[in-house]
Amino acid sequence: QEVQISGQVVSADDSQPLLGASIRVKGTANGSVTDMDGSFKLNVPQGAILVFSYIGYLNQEIEVRDQSFLKVALEADVQVLNSVVVVGYGTQKKESLTGSIATMELTTKENQPITNISNALQGMPGLHVNLSNSMPGVDRARIRIRGVGTLNNSDPLVLVDGIEYPMDELNPDDIASISVLKDASAAIYGSRAANGVILVTTKKGNDRSQVNYNYYFGVQKPTTLPDAIWDPIAYMKLKNEAALNSGKTKPQYSDAQIQEYEEGMSSDPYLYPASNWFDIALENGYVQKHNLSVSGGSDKFKYRLALGYLDREGVIIGPNNHEKKYSIGLNTSAKVNKKLEVGLTLNGYYRYYTQPSYTNGSFWKYLMRTLPIMPDRLEDGSYGYTWLRTSGRNNWEHPTMIAKEGSYKKDVQRFLSTVYANYKLPLDINYHVKFGIDKYDGYLKRFIPQMVKKQSKTGQLYNWNNPATAPRVYNNDYNDLNIHFYNTLQWQKVIAEKHDLSLMLGASYDKFGNSSFGAQMTGYLDASLTALDAGTERLDIFGNSTKDVLMSYFGRLNYMFDEKYLLEAAFRYDGSSRFAPGNRWGFFPSLSAGWRLDKEAFLEGVSVIDLLKLRASVGILGNQAVPLYSYENSITLGHNYSFGGQLASGAAATAYADPSISWETTTTYNIGVDLDLWESKLSITADYYKKRTEGILRTVNLPAQVGNLSGPKQNVGVVDNSGYELTAQYRNQLGPLQYTLRGNMAYNENEVVDLDGQILYSDGTNLPTITQEGYPMNSYFVLDAIGIFQSDDEVANHAYQSKNTRAGYIKYRDVNEDGIINGDDRVLVNSSSVMPKYTYGFGVNLEYKGVSLSADFQGVGGVKIYPTANLAFPFNNGANATWDWVHDSWTPDRPNASLPIVTESTGKRDNFQNSDFWLRDGSYLRLKNIQLSYNLPSAWLAKLKIQRMSVFVNAQNWLTFTKYKDFDPESVLNASTLYHYPMLKTFSTGANITL
Amino acid sequence: CDPDLLDTQPENKYVESNFWKSKEAAYAALTACYAPLGYSGVYGGDATPLWEETATPNSYNETNSMSFNALASGQHSASTGGVISSRWNHCYSGIGRCNTLLARIDEVEMDEEEKVRMKGEAHFLRALYYFILRTYYGDAPLVLDPPVREHSDLPRTPASEVIQQVLTDLETASDVLPWSYGSSDLGRVTKGAAMALKARVLFYEASPLFNPQNDMNRWKTAMEAAKAVMDVADEAGYDLYPDYRALFLPENEHNEEVIFDVQFIYPDGGNSFDLICRQYNTNAPLLDLANAYLMEDGLPSDLSPLFDAANPYENRDPRFYATVVFPGDTFMGEEVSETRFAITGFGQKKYSIYDEEAAPADKADLKSKQSETNYIVLRYADILMMYAEAKNEFSGPDAEVYAALNALRTRVGMPVLNSGHSQQEMREVIRHERRIEFAGEGLYYNDIRRWMIAEQVLDGPIYTWDKKQLEIRKFDKNRDYWWPVPQAELDLTDMEQNTGY
Repeated sequence: QEVQISGQVVSADDSQPLLGASIRVKGTANGSVTDMDGSFKLNVPQGAILVFSYIGYLNQEIEVRDQSFLKVALEADVQVLNSVVVVGYGTQKKESLTGSIATMELTTKENQPITNISNALQGMPGLHVNLSNSMPGVDRARIRIRGVGTLNNSDPLVLVDGIEYPMDELNPDDIASISVLKDASAAIYGSRAANGVILVTTKKGNDRSQVNYNYYFGVQKPTTLPDAIWDPIAYMKLKNEAALNSGKTKPQYSDAQIQEYEEGMSSDPYLYPASNWFDIALENGYVQKHNLSVSGGSDKFKYRLALGYLDREGVIIGPNNHEKKYSIGLNTSAKVNKKLEVGLTLNGYYRYYTQPSYTNGSFWKYLMRTLPIMPDRLEDGSYGYTWLRTSGRNNWEHPTMIAKEGSYKKDVQRFLSTVYANYKLPLDINYHVKFGIDKYDGYLKRFIPQMVKKQSKTGQLYNWNNPATAPRVYNNDYNDLNIHFYNTLQWQKVIAEKHDLSLMLGASYDKFGNSSFGAQMTGYLDASLTALDAGTERLDIFGNSTKDVLMSYFGRLNYMFDEKYLLEAAFRYDGSSRFAPGNRWGFFPSLSAGWRLDKEAFLEGVSVIDLLKLRASVGILGNQAVPLYSYENSITLGHNYSFGGQLASGAAATAYADPSISWETTTTYNIGVDLDLWESKLSITADYYKKRTEGILRTVNLPAQVGNLSGPKQNVGVVDNSGYELTAQYRNQLGPLQYTLRGNMAYNENEVVDLDGQILYSDGTNLPTITQEGYPMNSYFVLDAIGIFQSDDEVANHAYQSKNTRAGYIKYRDVNEDGIINGDDRVLVNSSSVMPKYTYGFGVNLEYKGVSLSADFQGVGGVKIYPTANLAFPFNNGANATWDWVHDSWTPDRPNASLPIVTESTGKRDNFQNSDFWLRDGSYLRLKNIQLSYNLPSAWLAKLKIQRMSVFVNAQNWLTFTKYKDFDPESVLNASTLYHYPMLKTFSTGANITL
Repeated sequence: CDPDLLDTQPENKYVESNFWKSKEAAYAALTACYAPLGYSGVYGGDATPLWEETATPNSYNETNSMSFNALASGQHSASTGGVISSRWNHCYSGIGRCNTLLARIDEVEMDEEEKVRMKGEAHFLRALYYFILRTYYGDAPLVLDPPVREHSDLPRTPASEVIQQVLTDLETASDVLPWSYGSSDLGRVTKGAAMALKARVLFYEASPLFNPQNDMNRWKTAMEAAKAVMDVADEAGYDLYPDYRALFLPENEHNEEVIFDVQFIYPDGGNSFDLICRQYNTNAPLLDLANAYLMEDGLPSDLSPLFDAANPYENRDPRFYATVVFPGDTFMGEEVSETRFAITGFGQKKYSIYDEEAAPADKADLKSKQSETNYIVLRYADILMMYAEAKNEFSGPDAEVYAALNALRTRVGMPVLNSGHSQQEMREVIRHERRIEFAGEGLYYNDIRRWMIAEQVLDGPIYTWDKKQLEIRKFDKNRDYWWPVPQAELDLTDMEQNTGY
């Protein structure tokens, strides 16, 4: 006897309806799937057992007795993550995805001291995430997806809940998941998609009321600092040696001065200091964070409210290295009636950070330039100045003074507010409209007082900075408003049971407006008043204002036949104001397909395979990231001159423009396979891709004879990126021990295919690189060092290098055999570009009776770095040197030393010309994070009405394996000096409580 | 959506298509032609012309500012950068702007006579920038149209053709420019400036380095060009300024001796002459220069009864005290100690406002780009010296040669030069006189190049005031007379490099 039964399938976690859940009569092929509301209807025999299944959830079996309506709440299968994946303008089931999309659930990063979400993406397959600056307030990572295919902005497009917004302007605790669209799946974002697209989804409310509070406190210190010589005598002796070796005939410090110093050191630390400036000017930093969230709701109304507070003190001494962030997260939705749902979100920060008044960059530059003979504070507390003269150091930059005097504070309020509505139109068409406002208000206040140093012997006072412009106040107000608006129509239908069809069409409008206004005042009496209007003399007023507009139409068709064959086609048609009329509109189509082999009859019996899917995609993506109005020759003012003692305003073109520029286009191909075995204990994903970017917009360098103009941006150049990615995860348990092993690795090869025959030198970098056809972009292009000259005879018999060259100097290969070493002898050092070839990550989770241990490793390989100048090279421009120059530089007694004879490196002459001698291996493997946590037994907690509570300790960046020792290899990647905020290692501890 | 929404316009800049509309725009464009004069590659930056002196035996740049010490010690190469690349680049900035102005100014509706004069100014400036390129690098691409990409393919034009164009431009300029301007236009190019620059161009072209065939006729044309300036001195108002020291002070700018100078004002276009002279000492005079000053009786120190080894700097040519600060001297109200100028013991006073007396409080600590002293490119004394040298080379030392030299000596109170010198003797006298008269002004570098004596005077050790050796300089006569074309230019073109680089 058959009965008709209907019902609804929801998620037990949040009571959200589950679309596409399958209902099957056990032991038969009879069944159905749920619709958009999670509801189903089915005729079944009385007494039949229904099996409810949904990917990512545990199966549930229910016997049909006399019910006519079943409400089934499926429990999430915690073992199967990412079952539903956020894609452009919608979501898709992971099993039916045809594109290459990496996902991350933020639950996997729980309790880690993540100050910015971009830093947490390290280790995702196909992403190169590089944190080059760790300074509180600006510690954002640079993200590159599947290599670099442009000479312009290579940052991926980031959208938060469908609206373009920087992910680092969100509290990581308010983020639920992240999807990275790496192939043609990004094409729905057209002209902004070529660098990949990152979709951030914020946390939402659910039926179950819940209060969560978590807290951590951590201590931070630099991972690696250069091994500078802080022994003043060793410093002076080596400096003299270097000066003499460099051809100077007068030592920098006389024997009498060194003797006086040595004798005085024990009695007078002010006149004869041995200053270790890394100890003096740096201290341990700390970070602490509170997060509080309340969420809940009903069928009709859901909410999540969250507050966050981050407080962080950096490693620079004094108050000028601080960060505070207050975050708000608000996410609500309401079902007005059966057809209409509306919602509102508000996410973002009020935050500020401080840095030394001469900026963070200057502080590190000066710190890396200081000497052990420089006194810190003198006995009377004034900032000291050494009595010893050092060439190039006319006005010594005192790190303590620069760290502490004055102020630099930037206040930012940035919020993304959105409202949306879903309306059910007839014919199962769902209309979605969303309006977002991204408002950025920044205010920079900078005060530079008069800084004075006192000579330790004579007591004479020296102004460090210019009294004509100090004290001075600099304020700048930033005011950006971006408006985003999109509409979509969605329709889905299963036709004749086997044809699953869905269609989406949409349009959007994005407007970006930036403006700023600033002023500088001087004429302050002292350092006590720092308001703009307390000064008496106007120094400067400045500002700017820009806007640009993007209009788009887009659509997507998904078709699935018999759950086996998947097809997706999408397009976007974008118009951008960044180009001249006639070149504004671009069309970006994509196509992808999948084949579920596990659903085929020939694999039906193979129970070990849960999922086996082949995927392929092709699409065209664009990049519009060129400076505004690059298509017009502009005349700039400010090329002034004076006549009769009065300034006259001068106007001239400084850049050459090409009006015909348009989009860069990237054609991307991807094939992949997804395989789940043994009840998803083992899952493997492998992808191979090839991307070709054409019409690359780049500045064509012009020789100075063309009016010394910077070259035009033109659509020239073709760059290929190809590579593969492999991800694997294995989960199982041994008795009470649950464990997960996971790993991924990605390899990317970059090749410049066509540059119109041109060669770009040091394009966009300060490094000795070249971009040339047939080689990776920004490959190192340097002299070929072939050893160290051991005798003057050897020098005489070799090609001429310079007048100074003698034993102990680096020997360069005379590549063109013309008997002289010069720029023509530079060689392209193969496989050594500034982007790594390999990125990889692996990790382990162990859980045993409430105790869990997780460790994540992350690394890059196949990358070279080229640090120069202060401390990377000895005695550059009056700076110090590192200890290896004391004991490992060439002398007649140390012919096998690894470094050449010690000389002053100022001016990059002789041994310090760009050569592969200084090209270092930037590969590293790092224990990014290790965490031990303990979940308190629920039996205890139940009495306190606490659902869950854990305590944890966490260590970040504590272990790094690398050949590069002078600094942290991650933070010098792509930089030419060591003047950066160093990478930090953090030790943190805290608790996480859910009520 | 309405596609017109995509029509955004720049809110903060002019574009070339709508720029050449007004007289004000034309003047702004002309101002931008002058602007490179103040750039570091030409006569501006912090102290480029003063540092140029450090590439000579006169002084020393310990920190290698703008790579001038690399030039002094023969350690430069095509990749050295510094002044070697900025001079090339900044000259072409000026050339490109002059070319644009000359091509487009006719579109502007304005007084025709004024327009013609403005073109004359641009012709002079273009000539000056090309003359600088020719002087240091030799051959250089000659471009006379507004910048277009196709100019990238131009090879180096032979220097003789460049100079031909320079002379044509100067001819055009001197035909249309006035002798002088009203007070609000002081600093603009005059007819006299065009004539004086022409004299210098011809004078350089006659000199051994630029005249390898030793065409004596070139000395004649140089002599005539200098004489032409002397002949119009009354009309143009040129003469020697009576006070040699005060000639270089900002309060006496635009005096009768100044024919063409580069304008500096604070805060929007100053130089750092005072900072480097007072504090940085990166143009530190060397012992060799100090010893070169004659005693006030006109004899060298080793022959003069006035010389006292214990007080070697007493009773020198008065120009010494107007140019150099030495240990034991008084400077800025204090006695100069041996370490006051720690690099060589000497400091430079010329082109700085600082002198014996303490500076006023608001000027005591002038920093980078705060100095307003104009740099004099061409002064009347140089015209006299060019005339004397050209005439001596062409036809030997006659009375006019003596007269020109003695005018300079008399101005500072040095005894006049007695007749009876042979041509060769007179050549030495003139070279010495030039070195002293123009010490610290950056002219000596091209003088030792012109005369091709650099391998004699630049090669060897240099010394501090107390005879301590600082470094040993080297000069390769087969290479170092000409600067290399910057590596970046070679990378982008098929240009030939100069010999030896």
